[in-house]
Amino acid sequence: MTPSNRTKDVVLTALWGDNPVFRQILGICSALAVTNLVLNTMVMGAAVVFSTALSGLTVSLLRKWTPRVIRMMVEVLVIAFYVILFDQALKAYWPDMSRNLGPYVGLIITNCIIMGRAEAYANANPPVLSFIDGFFSGVGYAIVLLCVAIIRELLGMGSLLGIPIPFFSSPLWDRWIIMVMPPGAFFTLAIIVWLARAVQVDKETKKGSKA
Amino acid sequence: MALRERTWFPILFMFVITLCLSAVIILFGSFTRRRVKDNERLSYERAVLQALPIDIPVRSTPSRIHNIYITNIQEADEYSAGALRYVKDDSLVAYALPLAGPGFWAQIKGVIGITADRRRVTGIAFYEQNETPGLGGEIIKSEFRSQFQGKKIALEGVPLKILPVTAQLDESSVHAITGATQTSNRLGKFMNEQLAAWRESMNNQP
Repeated sequence: MTPSNRTKDVVLTALWGDNPVFRQILGICSALAVTNLVLNTMVMGAAVVFSTALSGLTVSLLRKWTPRVIRMMVEVLVIAFYVILFDQALKAYWPDMSRNLGPYVGLIITNCIIMGRAEAYANANPPVLSFIDGFFSGVGYAIVLLCVAIIRELLGMGSLLGIPIPFFSSPLWDRWIIMVMPPGAFFTLAIIVWLARAVQVDKETKKGSKA
Repeated sequence: MALRERTWFPILFMFVITLCLSAVIILFGSFTRRRVKDNERLSYERAVLQALPIDIPVRSTPSRIHNIYITNIQEADEYSAGALRYVKDDSLVAYALPLAGPGFWAQIKGVIGITADRRRVTGIAFYEQNETPGLGGEIIKSEFRSQFQGKKIALEGVPLKILPVTAQLDESSVHAITGATQTSNRLGKFMNEQLAAWRESMNNQP
């Protein structure tokens, strides 16, 4: 494979073919927790993209020197490093958002997507590709989270990014309070995973019958 | 034997990596510590001003808010039983009583403003809460907070009731938040306990 093909392959796999949320069902704890408002979700997504991309890069840069027996310790350490940096920056420069997200930024450390990418990809691949892989795995995660958040905020509060949406914010729409509560996240995520899988399975069977 | 194969190498490696990464975090932390502290202080000062009948321009810079706070607010002492004082032209306009207690998820901290005669509420504001966004989190919205303005503090019993939205209101009660019964109840509980305690100790003042 040529390098540009390989990059494209990494990007597509991370975004769709092996999407962390609906293909690997990773990191859904935070997908459920922070998706009741679109703005919170965007910042959370940015934090995950930042940490997966840079920890992928760092783990890959260190991979030739890292002893195998302690590689997972090193990976967790690197991930924690980037997440803490992001958390500190948020506390200092965007305190309101930091309060909204509460403990969830810190919990990115335990987000299986990042650890998964470090272990499955960055450990054995060159730095630039690892960075791209991490970046787009983060984006793939953020996109699914955003879909969940858009549905939840619109149906539950009648707004998007805090801006009231016509019809949904009018008295004609009876706000579905349950959507901004935890069960709403389960319903929405399950439906999204179901739809995405239905499309994927459809494609896979078509490919199979051609071969 | 190559360096990597030595038994002590993993320990050294881990030590060096930890040292480097922690150093960066500590540096960055010391760089932002002041800012973080200032942010916390600022949200507290803003809440105090919001609870009092003081106009804060909509797009106030942090230093402007801090200046308004410094020029108008006198810190609490034993004669105010823990409440801050809003003094204008040498006369007492209102008290600002800090409140804190358990919410549904985490601690709620806020401030309630009370007129100088201790009969009416001038406002309420919160500077720390982690209630469910869209439900209990609505306590920070003006729809909920503005209800408190001008309410009478009952002389006996519960000072300020938070009642379900279906209930008829009188001059010392406000409506709870729909779908956030727990937040409303808990807020009502600690707010009234602390208001009653304050009412008590102020009545006992010479």
